Amino acid sequence: MNEKDQYKNRIELLQGTLDMLILQTLQWGQQHGYGIVQALRLRSGDVLQVETGSLYPALHRLERQGWVQSEWKQSESKQKARYYRITAKGKKQLSSDLGRWERIVEAIGSVMYVKPEESES
Amino acid sequence: MKRFPSFGFQRRKRELQEEIDAHLQMAIADRVARGETAESARQAAAREFGNILLVQDVTRDMWGQAWLEQLGRDLRYALRQLRKSPGFSITATAMLAVAICANSTVFSWIDGTMLRPIPGARNTGDLVSLQRGERNFSPTPPFSYLDYRDLREQNRAFAGILAYHHDWITLTGGAHPERVYIANVSSNYFDVLGIKPLLGRFFLAEEESRPDAVPNVVLGYSLWKTRFAADPAIVGKSIEIARHPVTVIGVAPEGVVGAMPGIREDLWVTLDPLGTEVWRMTHRSGGAVWLNVIGRLRPGVSRAQGAQDLDTVMRNIVAAYPDDHLGENRITLDPMWRSPFGANGYLATTLPILLAFAAVVLLLTGANVATLTLVRFVSRRRELAIRQSLGANRVQLVRQLVMEGVVLSIVAGAVALLLTSWTSKTFAWFFPANSNPVILNGSMDHKVVIGIAVSSLLVGMLCGALPAWRSSHAPAAEVLKAESASISGGSRNRKLLSGLVVAQIALSLPLLICSGLFLRTLRNLANANPGFEQDHILTATVGLNIAGYSHDEEQVIRHKILDRVSALPGVKVTSFTDWIPMTLSHKGEDAYPEGYVPHPHESLQVYHAEVAPRYFESLHIPILEGREFTPDDDEKAPRVLIVDQTAARRYWPGQDPLGKRLRIWGHLFTVVGVARNSTHMLMNESPEPMVYMSFFQVGYETIVQVKTEGNPADFAPAVENTIHEIDPQLPVFDVRPMRESTQIASSFAVVESALAGMFALIGLVLAVTGIYGVVAYRTQMRTHEFGIRMALGASRVDVLRLVLLQGLWLAGTGVALGLAFALGLTRLIARLLYGIGANDPITVVSVVMLLGAMSMAACYLPAHRAVRRNPVTAIREL
Repeated sequence: MNEKDQYKNRIELLQGTLDMLILQTLQWGQQHGYGIVQALRLRSGDVLQVETGSLYPALHRLERQGWVQSEWKQSESKQKARYYRITAKGKKQLSSDLGRWERIVEAIGSVMYVKPEESES
Repeated sequence: MKRFPSFGFQRRKRELQEEIDAHLQMAIADRVARGETAESARQAAAREFGNILLVQDVTRDMWGQAWLEQLGRDLRYALRQLRKSPGFSITATAMLAVAICANSTVFSWIDGTMLRPIPGARNTGDLVSLQRGERNFSPTPPFSYLDYRDLREQNRAFAGILAYHHDWITLTGGAHPERVYIANVSSNYFDVLGIKPLLGRFFLAEEESRPDAVPNVVLGYSLWKTRFAADPAIVGKSIEIARHPVTVIGVAPEGVVGAMPGIREDLWVTLDPLGTEVWRMTHRSGGAVWLNVIGRLRPGVSRAQGAQDLDTVMRNIVAAYPDDHLGENRITLDPMWRSPFGANGYLATTLPILLAFAAVVLLLTGANVATLTLVRFVSRRRELAIRQSLGANRVQLVRQLVMEGVVLSIVAGAVALLLTSWTSKTFAWFFPANSNPVILNGSMDHKVVIGIAVSSLLVGMLCGALPAWRSSHAPAAEVLKAESASISGGSRNRKLLSGLVVAQIALSLPLLICSGLFLRTLRNLANANPGFEQDHILTATVGLNIAGYSHDEEQVIRHKILDRVSALPGVKVTSFTDWIPMTLSHKGEDAYPEGYVPHPHESLQVYHAEVAPRYFESLHIPILEGREFTPDDDEKAPRVLIVDQTAARRYWPGQDPLGKRLRIWGHLFTVVGVARNSTHMLMNESPEPMVYMSFFQVGYETIVQVKTEGNPADFAPAVENTIHEIDPQLPVFDVRPMRESTQIASSFAVVESALAGMFALIGLVLAVTGIYGVVAYRTQMRTHEFGIRMALGASRVDVLRLVLLQGLWLAGTGVALGLAFALGLTRLIARLLYGIGANDPITVVSVVMLLGAMSMAACYLPAHRAVRRNPVTAIREL
């Protein structure tokens, strides 16, 4: 019933992963918001569809936390856009996020794959 | 990370917009590149992006400085909503302003009097007022100089203890003698109060009891300004008091008026400046008990500890001088705000109660405005529901609705602030001119402003938050699809509305009952028989004793006055007295029957007055036994006195008092008459024994008392001229009809009934409009239902009864609760009433009937409107 609350909930659900995904995307080079959406969609084979209502709040929060920096630049298609770049602090955060992610995957995996021969993804 | 709020905020908002625009442009460009048409690409990109405003909103939340913008937005929204319904806004603001002003006015009076008991003094919270013996509502000065000095020197709990004696005297030496108020003070007087001189110096320790050929005097600021033209070189100059030369040694700073709360002193001298009061300085009882005493507690010492300390010292004094300390001698301390010396004793019993009344008015107004607000919100429920479904969350809605209440109360507070700056100064109106230099008034300082801010904030929350929280509860989907009949605010709102109406009636009822009791008290006071006839009496004070005349001169002048004033046409009786009843003053003395040995801790104090022949005749006080004073009862004759019934009963119960003797001031006085009881101080006093002594034997002050034909005020110039013809330098003052002088005795009853009456009127209007508003609103909501009822055969009377019963049920519940509340509240004011019980059934019944009738009328109007509707149009109306 309440759209804004839903956005907020989604951000919270994805908080760890969305931040990690954004930071990972920026590892490959500076990028603008639209570019991040496209990159994530492409790399995930159209599975990950990031909502703009989650992306921009997340980007602005990451910037406030000092994990990314932004600047206004011309894109290849002469479009003025805001480019985000990962900072050293952001890289440290990314590696710690990644470590945590791997531990979660491992932990979930060890629960789900008790009988490896039967497992299907 | 935090930036200065709003700094760069607009720029960041613009950048976010550009960022989103860029996003959309790139999305469109991609789609066009894939072969879509420009139009469909634009639409698809926008759809894909989602709610742009919401994205902006959520993103801005991340900046952590959005609250300021939100506040601005809420404020603009609230102002817009309030502008849309100017009727509501103006009414609510006006009601709140009046209610806040009622509180701040009473508080400013408390602030200017009780909270500022000694203007100019440092930390008045540490100061305590000393009483000795039985606690008394209106005590006479309780200490002798020697007792005071022992207390001052032997205590451990006090940083300092001062003593003073308030009096009046004549300032001579100018063109006209001028009556001024003077205090004889201990040398540490200003020191203990913490006051530094504006010019010159204050008294030195060695000057305290030392008579001087040319005594020293300290001038008050206003006297220095008016009489001495603010002469900067006044220190060291000689002026004349009561025809004695004195030297000015200092001037007190502006605003300092002495240590007796609410009473002005114009100048100060030491305790025995001329050496004429040696007897007073060297004795411990009788006429030597003449000083008021104030102490400053050492830091960290409580009042109880201070009292205990002084009590120990006092016990030693009593043990050493038992004959001088008959009766009760225990020391008790009062903080200055309720010191029984001066005005605060009276104020402390009146003003806090009025403040409580004002608080009830504020609550009542809050409930009323909350009712109006709730009704408004319910009628705006569609708007609220639409906004909720568009993404506003509940907290946001509540915040915006509360903002409307806050805006109202802030505006109301500002209006109240303006009003109070005027009303705070109206307190002085209640005190008619009298012989006491009363300087009571309200004051408008930061405490009052804070009080206004706090009360407006509280009432704003009350009348904004409660309805807002309730209204935001409504589930949006249901509100939007439902029709008016089923959503008359929902049952929860209905309960809240009913509760608010019941509260208003329950709060206004005790206000009405109290004001009824006060008004009847005032009427009883006006109609009461004080035991003497005060019409056609003119009194004039002649400052003989304070103008430096010798005793023999005094007696000669008194007889001349008696002869010449009696000869004036229209004057029926001329007499003298040195006391006027019901002017909040009295004189007290210990009196013991001849040969009687008092028990320890037995106080045999009596009031006393010195009156001349024909005093009783002119006031119509009957002499029940014996005789009145005659011109022969002079200094050569044996000392005589007349007792009143209370004194006769106390000293000689069941015996004939005539011929019995009383010892006063160490002299024996023979009783020659018994006078009927009359009022001494206040109508509702418990009778104190009174002894009258012969004016020409022991009279001190000279008050001419004239019984006239017709209006006594018309005789004032003639009487004054006649006295001045005897000696133009005679100071004559306080020339006024007796009825005017005695008004001061009922001035507090006037304050109480005036304010309580005003508050009750506000309460009545609020309660009645409150119940009218709610019943009218609910009836309107049920128009559809009534239409159906009537179409199905219900008569108009049935519908009328339905509406009336609903209103009556509310009124009944409110009255029942209010009666319970009133029982508690009237107990508080029982002490202030006269001639009427705190639960006087006539008052209670008539108030309940008044409130009931007004409520009935308020319910009848909407009911009447409802039944006059055509059922067909009523059914169609949704």
